[in-house]
Order: sequence, then C-alpha cells, then structure tokens
Amino acid sequence: MFSYIVRRLGFGMLTIVGVSMVVFVVMRILPGDPLVAIFGAEGFTKLTPDQRANYMNALGLSDSLPLQYWHWVVDIARGQFGHSFFRSESVADTILRRGPLTAEIALLSVALSWIVGIPVAVLSALRPNSVLDNISRFFSILFLAIPGFWFGMLIVLASLFWFGYKTPMAGVSLFADPWGNFQIIIGPAVVLGLGQAAYITRMARSSLLEVVREDFVRTARAKGLSGRLVITLHALPNALLPVITLSGILLGFVLAGSIPVERAFGTPGLGSSMYTAVSERDIFVMQNLVFLYAVVFVALNIVIDVINAWLDPRIHYQ
Amino acid sequence: MSVTTPEFGELPEQIEVARSLPIRIGDALWRFARRSPLSAFWGVVAVTIIIIAIAAPDIAPYAPLRSDFRHMTKPPDALHWFGTDQIGRDTLSRVIYGSRTSLLVAFGAVLLGTTFGAVWGLASGFFGGRFDLISQRIIEFLQSFPDLILAMAIAMALGAGTGTVIVAIAITRIPFGGRIIRAVVLSLKETPYVEAARGLGASNLRLMARHILPQCIAPYLILATTHLGVAIIIEASLGFLGVGIPPPMPTWGNMLADALNSGLVPPWWLVLFPGAAITLTVLAFNLLGDGIRDALDPRLRGAV
Repeated sequence: MFSYIVRRLGFGMLTIVGVSMVVFVVMRILPGDPLVAIFGAEGFTKLTPDQRANYMNALGLSDSLPLQYWHWVVDIARGQFGHSFFRSESVADTILRRGPLTAEIALLSVALSWIVGIPVAVLSALRPNSVLDNISRFFSILFLAIPGFWFGMLIVLASLFWFGYKTPMAGVSLFADPWGNFQIIIGPAVVLGLGQAAYITRMARSSLLEVVREDFVRTARAKGLSGRLVITLHALPNALLPVITLSGILLGFVLAGSIPVERAFGTPGLGSSMYTAVSERDIFVMQNLVFLYAVVFVALNIVIDVINAWLDPRIHYQ
Repeated sequence: MSVTTPEFGELPEQIEVARSLPIRIGDALWRFARRSPLSAFWGVVAVTIIIIAIAAPDIAPYAPLRSDFRHMTKPPDALHWFGTDQIGRDTLSRVIYGSRTSLLVAFGAVLLGTTFGAVWGLASGFFGGRFDLISQRIIEFLQSFPDLILAMAIAMALGAGTGTVIVAIAITRIPFGGRIIRAVVLSLKETPYVEAARGLGASNLRLMARHILPQCIAPYLILATTHLGVAIIIEASLGFLGVGIPPPMPTWGNMLADALNSGLVPPWWLVLFPGAAITLTVLAFNLLGDGIRDALDPRLRGAV
C-alpha cells in the first residue's frame, strides 16, 4: 500500500510537469500576441514599437522560451505564482484570500449531492421502473442538461422576486461570520450540488442494481433479513465504491463549473478571480490559476485512487 | 408486410426486394422509432432545432441586431413574443439565431476534436509500442484539466472568434475519442478475424481501413452525439464568461452575459429564454445519444 502511494505520487509529479508544459504552450506559444491579449487589438495598434519592446522586456516576454519557462517554474517553487498585470496583489495572495470560499462551495456541494443523490438512488433501486424511479430518472436527465450558471441566475432572480432577498456581496470568512459566510456559499453549492446529484443518482442506482444480483445479497435475503436491511447494510456499502470514485472526479469538474456559477451569483471566490483574469486578458494570472486548477485536479485523482485501493481489498495495484 | 407484383401475384415477405438506399434508411429509422419511441421523439426535437438553426433568417420575426428604440426592455407581448432587450432587440429572433452559432460550434468542435481523437486512438491502439506510450502520456496531460478551464485558456490565448472557440472546445474533446476508440481497437486487434486477415497478408493500412475501422463507427457515433451536449454547454459557458464568440453575435451564452451585465436585476425574460433554449437543445441531444447507444451497442452503457 505504502509503495503504491509513493509510486502514484511519483506519476502525479510527472503529470504535473507535463501539465505545466501544456499550460505554458497554451498561454505563451500558441499564436496570438500577449500584448494584443492585454491591450486588445485596438490598443495594440496604438502602441509604438518602442513601447511594445519596453512592455515585452518589463513582462519578461522577450526572453527565450525555455528561459521564460524556467523563470515561471522558479516563481512557482518560491510560492509566488507571479503577479497580476493590473493589480499589486500577487497571484498567491489572491488564491489564499479567495480560495477558501470556493473550496467551501465545492465541499458543501459534494455533501449535498450525496444527501440528495444516495437516498433517491436507493428508493429507485428498491423498485426499478416504479413511478418514483421514473421521476428521479427524469430529474437526473434534466439536471444533466441544465447549465449551472443559468440555474443560478434563475435562483437569484426568483429569491429577489418572491422574497426580496439578496445575498450579501462582501466575502466573509467562515470563522468571522459563519451565517454571512453560509448565505454566500449556499446558492452556488445548491446549484453545483444538484448538478452532481444527477450523476451520483444514476451511478448509485445502476451500481446498486448490479450488486443486488450478487451471491452475498442472496445469502442475506435467505437468512431472513428484510429487503430494506439487505439494501442498507449489505448492498449499499459495496455499491458505493464506484460512487466515491465518481464523486471525486466530479469534485474536480465542480471547481471548473464554479467559475460561471460564481459569476452568476456574484460570489467573490476563486472562480471570480478567474473570470476577472479572463475579462482583463491577464495572461499571467490566467497561466497560474489554470495551472493551480490542474494541480488540484491531478491531486484529487491521486486521492481517489488511494481511497479506492484502501476501501476495496479486491483491487490489487501493480 | 408483403409485396404485390403484376407478374408473380403476392410475394411472401421473406423475399428480399432490392430497395433503394433512402428507403432502407427510412426503414431503419422506423424500426428505431418503434423500439424506443422516447428517443425518436427527442430525435425529432433535435432535428427540429437543427432545421430552425439552418432556416433562422426565414423563421426569425426580426433581424437579430436591429434595435427598436420604441420597445426597449419590454416584457413579452404580441409583438415580441420573448420580449426585447435593453436596446430593443427582439429576444425571440436572437434565441433563434443563437441556435445557429451554438450548433455550428458544437458540430464543428465534435467533428474536429472527437474525430481527431478517434483517429489518433485508432492509430495508437493499432501500432502500440513507443508511439502508443507517448500518445497516452499526451492524452493524460490533456485530461488533467477540467474541460472548461482548458477551453477558457485556449480561447483566451487564441483571441476571440468563432473559429477559435471551435478549436478550443475541440481540443478538450480529443482525449475522450482517443481513449475510448483505443480501447475498442486493442480488443479488436486480438480477434480471430483480424488475425486471419493478417495471416492472409493484408497490409496494416488495409487491416485498419477494412477490418477495424468499421467496428469503431458505432462507438464513435455514440461518443459524438454524447459530446454534442457537452460542447453546447461549454460554448454557452465561454460566451457567458466573455471568452466566447464576441458580441454583437447573438449566442445563448452572450445573451445571458448581457442580461447579467445590464444592471443589478436582469429582466426575467432575458434570462429565462436563452437558458431554456440551451437546456432543451442539450436535453434533446443527450437523450438522442442515449437512444443511439442503446440501439447500436448496449454494452457501452455507462462506458461513454
């Protein structure tokens, strides 16, 4: 087990190096002048060649590409993650200030997806093709198709329209003002949670229906346990393994999905920073944030693999 | 069903009458519709949306960019069924025109990305060895990003435009095509019929084109339909975040972004209709994809 974790981490490091190269290629080498990105096509044509050269020098963009890459790696290793072109704050500061809110949203949404998804899946699997099963299937298909940010806008509009309620705009930390913090994160968490619940319900239902056919479930029934106990005590724990894997993968996608959803709710989380960076064409912030998201994504995958190996003794990893 | 001819009277239905291709396709569709009416219904919805997109100039009641300054920010009425936006443009017409961009980007991205990934997966599974190893690493790196983040970064780096959005979304589709088709090819390579063909002296190219490729078409079709929905949502998200196709081009994502940027409280009709259009379109393509999967290859349930 230990050696498996070490090996998995080693591969993870390799992936992160590869990921950093992909980010670098996308942000620096793909056609498209960084100055055009920053100043816009119109602003770019107004710059004199001298100004252009000065900006390129100041931004370190006139160095050779390998050197630029090396500077970036050093910057990351120092924990600075570069500076915004428009703000004094370093990207690391932004992450520390805004990251926790997004992390809270992501974790709460995962919790909500389980709270909603698992009971619905169990009820569906107890009576496949019943009315309830069909209703739950309809809703999971519907929520797979609804864009989260639109759903978020509708919630904001509806709560304003019917209850005259508006979420507070200022970001407050969980420890300073738990209630204010909760008001900010609950909207995005519900939207993202229901989106995940659709996947969780589908997966848990089909996984349960598969496990129910296995021998140990038949044995449990044969010794006289009621249907409900068989499901909750014997079938469910075994059916949850693929659900845990899926949930981990979804958590990674939720981090990305929170960008438009935070925008819809006006939540001041990391997703908003990403939105700001994109709308200001701030390639340095963008480069580092994209890298950060990818690192979290890779780390999550490693954690899922390790949890799976730990929970399921049948899995033998080479 | 039997066939009546003047010379032979009534023929029993076992006798195959040579039929033209359109009729055979029609028959296949009819069988599909009878087996899964629900998928057929959503297939009809999907085709309707495609027709609306193609015929947008004939269907839309107004030009999508024309401002009517006497009717600005008006709720739905008899004149403007979906209301008008802040500068008096007709929302219904913009939603109809939005379907054009949305479908163009989705089909373009899937045709480009999923196809490239599939061909890559075919080659890497077939040849194996070092090529396969390197291909797998590159695909792994591409898969280490959540779709939307990678698409945002590429769309931003390349600059705004319809072509760049298509390319950005296409790149996020490559790994899926690559991995699934590669897995199919790996298992096909070991089948006796492929080995027999190899034993008969078929070249690599012939093996790939004649014996392996036809088996990849079903998984490819299923993959492509499923990804249409994903591509539509990514396109809308990019538009919503301002890195999509630049305004004033009416896209569903742009319309939602406009509604949000207009002021503190966006009018409900500017939010409801574009989003409902996205949901309906994605729903139609997803359910059609499910139906195609069940009809072509039920074993792939859950895999794609």
